[in-house]
Amino acid sequence: MNRPSLPQLAWIFFRRGNFTFGGGTATIAVLDQEVIESRKLVTREQAVLSFGLARLTPGTNLLAYCTALGWLTRGPLGACVALSAVSIPCSVLAIVLTVLYDSWLRKPLVATAMQGAIVAAIAVMFATGWTLIRPLRANTSAIKILFFSTGACIAALAGMPPIRVLLLAVLLGFAWPAEGRAS
Amino acid sequence: MKLWLLYLLLLKATCTTFAGLASLPVLRSDLVINHHWLTDQQLNTAVVVTRTTPGPAGLYIVSVGYLVGRVPGAIIAWLAMITPALLVIPLLKFAGRKAQHPRTKGLLQAIVLSSAGLLVASAFPLAREAATEPFTIGLLIVCIAVLLTRKVESVWVVLCAAVIELAASSLNLAR
Repeated sequence: MNRPSLPQLAWIFFRRGNFTFGGGTATIAVLDQEVIESRKLVTREQAVLSFGLARLTPGTNLLAYCTALGWLTRGPLGACVALSAVSIPCSVLAIVLTVLYDSWLRKPLVATAMQGAIVAAIAVMFATGWTLIRPLRANTSAIKILFFSTGACIAALAGMPPIRVLLLAVLLGFAWPAEGRAS
Repeated sequence: MKLWLLYLLLLKATCTTFAGLASLPVLRSDLVINHHWLTDQQLNTAVVVTRTTPGPAGLYIVSVGYLVGRVPGAIIAWLAMITPALLVIPLLKFAGRKAQHPRTKGLLQAIVLSSAGLLVASAFPLAREAATEPFTIGLLIVCIAVLLTRKVESVWVVLCAAVIELAASSLNLAR
């Protein structure tokens, strides 16, 4: 496998992480193409393990995945460089746009357009629920899917704090192992 | 508003969920309902801003951090966003094989499925506030249908919805 310099690593994650629309999934796909196929920095097996462990890591999967790839290529410094390169530029852009939105919202036309945009953003939240469930359909029973997703939704609507719902899910999930043998 | 408390609350949201937007219910519970540091309108703004920019879905937390505490709040939010990602390193070093154990996978499945349910539940009150008339309710339903049935990036759905709302407003179809 090739060993990139830290500036090269930063450039890869800066380009792929901050100029790809479509969220984490799209970014992981373009990163895989560059890191595995074009530059041969990690093997596909290493990338698959990193992706699986990134799914086990709380928070944003993309950030954990980039941290794992950085670690595999250049150790602790590589992990820090990858994580910073993929997160700082888009965070700065998010802050700038938030400031601009704040001032733009005073303009009537923008305020009106923003109402439509907010409706769409709420639609994204609903659709993201399905996006989270969809990859699990292949290896999770329908009963389990319905039990946890509907149960959590009903519990939250009934007033149970989200953190309590998640803790309950942890206990029940541990007691209800996934189908298939441990490898 | 203490920055260390903001960090801990945001970290609680990011550390207890396993996908970007999935932290929204926990974050809303703490920042909007319990501490009143944020309104639902501001939370929606943060989601809109980051759905129209490149980057991960969880980036909305940085926008939330800015709305709560300006630049220091945004920096704290960035730290809360990246902190959980560092947990992948000990997992890589030590846990590789155990990560595939059925109980570990079962636990993760339960958290992801519950997060999906929580996300839908937290979207209901936001929808009740934003979609208050037939036109916006229809727009919401159409946006959900498009996102579920077509491979369209959310940025285009958000931008189209903004344009449609403008057009409808000029035609007096929406307030």
